[in-house]
Amino acid sequence: MLTWMLVAMSFAALGACGGGTDGGDGSGSVTRGTIGFSAMTLKNPFFKIIADSLTAEAERHGFDVVVTDAERDVNRQSQQVDNFLASGVVAIVLNPVDRIAIGPAVRRANEAGVPVFTSDLQAVADGVEIAGHVGTDNYQGGLLAGEAMIEALGEAGGEVLVLHFKQANSCVLRVDGFRHAIGEYNRDRTEGRIEIVAELEGGGLRDEGYRAMADGIQAYPDLAGVFAINDPSALGARTALEQAGRADQVRIVGFDGEIAGRQAIRDEKIYADPIQYPDRMGVMTVQNIVRYLDGEDFERVHLIPTELYRQADAEQDPTLD
Amino acid sequence: MPEDVGESAAGRWRRRLLDLLGRNLSVVVLALLCLISSVATWREQNPITSRSGGAVARQVLEACPAPCSVLVVARDTEADRVFARAIEEGLDDSGVRIAGRVFGQPRDVRLELERLAGLDGSLDAIATHRIASDWGPVRSAGARVFSPRSYYWPTFLTPRNLLNVVNQNADIAIIALGMTLVILTAGIDLSVGSLLALAGVIAAVAAQEWFGGAAASPAGLLAAMLLGVAAAALGGLLSGTMVTAFRVPPFVATLGLMMLARGLALILAVGHQRRLVGGGAEGTPEAVRVDAAAFAWLGNGAVLGVPNPIVLMLVLFVAAHLLMTRTMFGRYVYAVGGNVEAARLSGVPVTAVLLAVYCLCGAFAGLAGIVDASRFEGGRPNAGELYELQVIAAVVVGGASLAGGRGRIAGTLIGAMIIAVIQNGLNIAGVASYEQKVVFGALILAAVLLDRLQPKIASRRARMTRGSTSTPVQ
Repeated sequence: MLTWMLVAMSFAALGACGGGTDGGDGSGSVTRGTIGFSAMTLKNPFFKIIADSLTAEAERHGFDVVVTDAERDVNRQSQQVDNFLASGVVAIVLNPVDRIAIGPAVRRANEAGVPVFTSDLQAVADGVEIAGHVGTDNYQGGLLAGEAMIEALGEAGGEVLVLHFKQANSCVLRVDGFRHAIGEYNRDRTEGRIEIVAELEGGGLRDEGYRAMADGIQAYPDLAGVFAINDPSALGARTALEQAGRADQVRIVGFDGEIAGRQAIRDEKIYADPIQYPDRMGVMTVQNIVRYLDGEDFERVHLIPTELYRQADAEQDPTLD
Repeated sequence: MPEDVGESAAGRWRRRLLDLLGRNLSVVVLALLCLISSVATWREQNPITSRSGGAVARQVLEACPAPCSVLVVARDTEADRVFARAIEEGLDDSGVRIAGRVFGQPRDVRLELERLAGLDGSLDAIATHRIASDWGPVRSAGARVFSPRSYYWPTFLTPRNLLNVVNQNADIAIIALGMTLVILTAGIDLSVGSLLALAGVIAAVAAQEWFGGAAASPAGLLAAMLLGVAAAALGGLLSGTMVTAFRVPPFVATLGLMMLARGLALILAVGHQRRLVGGGAEGTPEAVRVDAAAFAWLGNGAVLGVPNPIVLMLVLFVAAHLLMTRTMFGRYVYAVGGNVEAARLSGVPVTAVLLAVYCLCGAFAGLAGIVDASRFEGGRPNAGELYELQVIAAVVVGGASLAGGRGRIAGTLIGAMIIAVIQNGLNIAGVASYEQKVVFGALILAAVLLDRLQPKIASRRARMTRGSTSTPVQ
């Protein structure tokens, strides 16, 4: 019998020490309050960078930060918002998992008078008030991706495939921009045109991108290029192309510029990436929170432009070893 | 030691205590977890109530008597307005002048201060709550700031948080009721998460496309919801049929249904989105939005301050408890789980019982799906992913045996709450999600371990009660 009590006690210890190391420092000390951040998924390094830069900047300004992982589940994210409200945070930051279904949770925060800031992804539900948004200019990024593809294929043009992740509005904007750039390029051409032959679901993930690309190679044997909406799916596509022995004939344009993606660009596995600045998103979001609390005006929607990152940039990149 | 006649009084009490703890181990664990969560969330609380407003008014009167001019600052929420009204009532007839009032954001305070600076007459004090007293414009206004004293109390034990804990896990608990029946028959149902999504999407699509969309009547919405539940119950009936008529192991039958139902939910949702944009393009697997506002009542409304999902959960819990303890059906379920052959030979309609159990489990999952869809104002084809694991965990932690025949509805409710409290406690204590997974995994392992060792405990207990024949059958 005592054994089972010991089992229970071990949970007690686990719970208590976890609480002690991670969250116990919030009480008593002189802070400006706690900021709650619900990340889309901390499995993707991109969102981890937002979380880390946000935490560092917030602590510099005297805030505590609680970071939670929504694991791409809007139900979990809503619960995290409710928990933030119950624990009395001064501001909530979200990467909305679902731009519409997150609405009721944001409305509850609005009713409780707690400002909600979004980063990277926007919320578009009815009747929600978002205090500020900082994200990437995804449409502009898509245009740059289109330019990179035009550059990569040269005068020959050819068939291009898109590895999409339609669930995310940011990705829809990227592909819209990409299509626009390609459309402009094709306008007065009869030869060397670039044809977008298909949009496949790559899930924004390495394994799904790999599977989608493996199928894509079978369906479109004359493929000359791939635009993948982020680095994980671009790297998955690269693996599929290498396995099929087609890596030399198909150029890849990715998106994000996370470290694995930049390494692949240096190694000529990916042609180029429009790069995003998740670190700036975290920092600027905190700066917006500070301006909000200080009653200052600030840009309600701030979109950070992407920049094209090619092999030449990778060779001078001090962060790659 | 069966003939331990000379047992001391202290020894007897110790034995009774241990016996009691052993029988109600899950309750003890739950209480212990609540205690830990309370200690881990011992924080400063900042009251925003009518009473704290009155207290602020008294502070102002003491420290800044008339003629003193005060700015009242609060946010634009219901609680804040009550608080601000109490401040003003407390200052009535005291000669203290209310220079202005702000209901809004820090920015509104700055604008109001700028307006007041334009008028003549100085501002002596700002009366507000602790949160707004940290706002930049309030701090730099050059006036004395009065706010209620904060006090220390576990954030876990605030009414809002306790309601959150139960509300957030009401859907898990509802499905766990159905799952308990299935597990009592020594079965398992992996399809519940997918059936939840399917029910939500069907209800949402039906409400939007057949029952009038934004103009849908309450009766129409109810019909749409029932349609969703019926579809999920039908799914349960399908796995029941596979299990009984074709002797397919429940694990495999419901695994198949899990994929099938998820796929159907996605197809329906994408098809709906495609019709929304007018054909042509491929739809996206987003939530199927329901425009009728009344649809959100079940998930987001409240009865006497208690959120509706909790009310629904309690009603279903009582119904399931009565079903399992007071009816012939309940006894049949235990009999089938205890020993199928013996049950069959003693005339229990085994096939009918199994069909009913799987059908009920599907219906419970469907109800949870309706709650989810209502909560998010739309049917989400991705809802309920990995729910089956959480639900099974709740049932097992609640003391049901995966071998069938042993388990209680009350135990399941406690199991669901144990998981809820761990999740919530760890969340508000700021423990990262990676560590939470470790805790959950360990909890499930411990519960199963307990299940395996239960016969040993029972035999020891039997020895301790010196051959008494009243061995618990549950």
